[in-house]
Amino acid sequence: MTRLTTHAKVGATALVAALTLSACGGTTAVDATGSPEPGTPQGPLTVWVMGDSGANLEAAVAPFTAETGIEVKVEAIPWDNVNDRLTTAIASGSGPDVTQIGLSQLASYIEGGALEDISGYIADYPNLDPANFPSAVSPDSMNPDGGVYSVPWVSDTRVLFYRSDILAEAGIDAPPATWDELRSAAETLSARGDGQFGYYIPQWDAPLPVAYAWQAGAELVADDGSIVLNTPEFNEAVDHYLGLYADGSVPTAGDFDQAIGFISGAAPMLVSGPYLANAIRSQAPDLEGSWGVTTVPANATSTSLFAGSNLGVWSGSKNVDASMQLLNFLADPETQAAWYEATGELPTANAAFDYAALTSDPLVAVYAEQLQDAKLLPISTAWDAASSAMLETLNSIAIGGADKQDALDALYARVDEINAR
Amino acid sequence: MSNDGGAGGTERDSTAVVGLDQRVPEFSVVTIPTPLVPSASSRWRTSMPKARKKVVPYAFIAPAVVLLILFGIVPILVAGVVSLTDLDIRGLGNPETIQFIGLDNYDRLFNDPAFWRSIWTTAFFVGFGVPVIIVVSLGIAVALNYSNSRFFRALRSFYFLPAITAIVAIALIWGNLYNSQFGLLNHLLDMVGIAPVGWLSDPETARVSVALVAIWRATGLNIIIFLAALQSIPQEYLEAAALDGAGRWATFRRIVLPMLHFAIFFVTVTTLIGWLQFFDEPYVLTGGGPVGSTTSISLFIFKNGFGLNQFGYASAGSIVLLAIIVTVTAVQLRLRREDHG
Repeated sequence: MTRLTTHAKVGATALVAALTLSACGGTTAVDATGSPEPGTPQGPLTVWVMGDSGANLEAAVAPFTAETGIEVKVEAIPWDNVNDRLTTAIASGSGPDVTQIGLSQLASYIEGGALEDISGYIADYPNLDPANFPSAVSPDSMNPDGGVYSVPWVSDTRVLFYRSDILAEAGIDAPPATWDELRSAAETLSARGDGQFGYYIPQWDAPLPVAYAWQAGAELVADDGSIVLNTPEFNEAVDHYLGLYADGSVPTAGDFDQAIGFISGAAPMLVSGPYLANAIRSQAPDLEGSWGVTTVPANATSTSLFAGSNLGVWSGSKNVDASMQLLNFLADPETQAAWYEATGELPTANAAFDYAALTSDPLVAVYAEQLQDAKLLPISTAWDAASSAMLETLNSIAIGGADKQDALDALYARVDEINAR
Repeated sequence: MSNDGGAGGTERDSTAVVGLDQRVPEFSVVTIPTPLVPSASSRWRTSMPKARKKVVPYAFIAPAVVLLILFGIVPILVAGVVSLTDLDIRGLGNPETIQFIGLDNYDRLFNDPAFWRSIWTTAFFVGFGVPVIIVVSLGIAVALNYSNSRFFRALRSFYFLPAITAIVAIALIWGNLYNSQFGLLNHLLDMVGIAPVGWLSDPETARVSVALVAIWRATGLNIIIFLAALQSIPQEYLEAAALDGAGRWATFRRIVLPMLHFAIFFVTVTTLIGWLQFFDEPYVLTGGGPVGSTTSISLFIFKNGFGLNQFGYASAGSIVLLAIIVTVTAVQLRLRREDHG
């Protein structure tokens, strides 16, 4: 609440300042700040931002408010409550003007009809041109049924983290670049002793086996939109996933902590996102120089996951024009570079990676390279159901000791049933 | 709380059923008029017009009935209707796309191995948790009843603490105690040379670990109930037993336990209902894992309803859970009635 009132104050101050300026300075003052014609009622905009980025977003949009006079009210929503807020807002028909959308939840937003089709507006805003962003987040891949319901904002991907010191000790000179190298390196490393592993697979990580399937060359969604798992490529991915367990290279404990495991060296290799790099840097600064990241080990491809968040305009918003201006502002490479500095969240605009804030961090070059070979998870709620079934099945074999073929057959039947819905 | 009920039950057995009904929330509103009507109307018979006499008792129970209908009956009916539809997030946004699909959700439910698994998991929790809670809380209550000294009163607060601790704090602390990498429990085991246990990471062990936390959390309240019932046992009975030369065990078995009959019944009913709806502990400690081994029926419903937004399917699950709870409770009430002739 304090945040809102402070913001109201800031907004009011900005408004008063703008009025005073326009009153005494005439048109020159308005031109200098680039505001639209005075008198056009715009906003205020309500914006949903996820996680603890509320204060950061308020700071980030301050220049936007100063420039356009559009007031922005930021509402921060914890990630755990996003689905509750979304369903409530859809059911009651009252949402914000602009919302952040985690890519894993984009399908729910679109199918629930929460987002406005903004395809007619995109052309007017140069920063929102699809050519500015990686191909993974082209409008085609993000809007399965046509239209444009959201635009890219922040990106996130998965890369291979490795402890160069531990690998070198075990006689491994370079981080594994292929599946086979990964398997053998992990096996070598886990032979270091009891409680020592070579690799780590988070048991809650549904996208990981999907990325393996992509790396094996599987197309998981057919042209007609149905989900296809029963392919040789998918089976190869399953064998890779289960093989790492069968080798004894990964911990089976579900409560294994990846940051602690990596820092202690118990799991000196794993696939994770930039947030792990931040955790290592803050928790174990003296480890600097003895770890690194690289693109994910390849099989047929070295495709990784494209995650992150989009921005969209809430369907039925009365401030679509002002909202589009905000989207355009937030897609500006300069804004995105500043956002990275403030939050550590990677930009989506390709040009933003050239800013000093990003080039100064050697890890970002790896992220940027991986983002160019990264894919979105299929955008459909049927996929969400299939994906959670896939993860359950793999874990039931790897940890629960279920019969592999029986469990996979049950998974395929489940997917058929999901496709038929 | 139930101390008066425990005593009243034996002094005037006919009132036991009334006392019981007032304590089980599900039945209270329906049966309260029975004791209220005769006593209330006898007082007003002389001074009140007949019509008003009839209305007054209903006016008294109206607020409770309205609340029950609004927050108890109506949601159940809504869930019943939703369970016959394919309502998901698309239907939420565009109600015209919702389709009635008859009993398809139930058909799917009974063919879903994950649902059956959640039923057996819940059965394990009930079968393990309910008896342990009753025995442990009764045991502790009897022990606490030995003395009324300051130390024993302090112990009472001590045992009640888990019941008033926030579930999130409990999850955090127990999650750290149980952790297989850096948890205190494994550290202690290691010190005496026992191999580490996957408290929350081994599917079978995790069930027991989660149930233990729930037991630890639930005993506090039940200890208070048993303690109140114990203290309401008339001293004369115990003295008479002592005069007859009954030992400690005989007194407990022949006097105390029968006098606690109602309290035990009450604790059994409420605990059983609570454990059939078992949700908090697995949700915060394991999220239903590892490999679904701690996914109770409630958690299964929650995951489908609020994780995958399949509201129709989840509603069907909750109607089935309701049917299970109603059946189990009805059986218990019947057994109790037969018990008392």
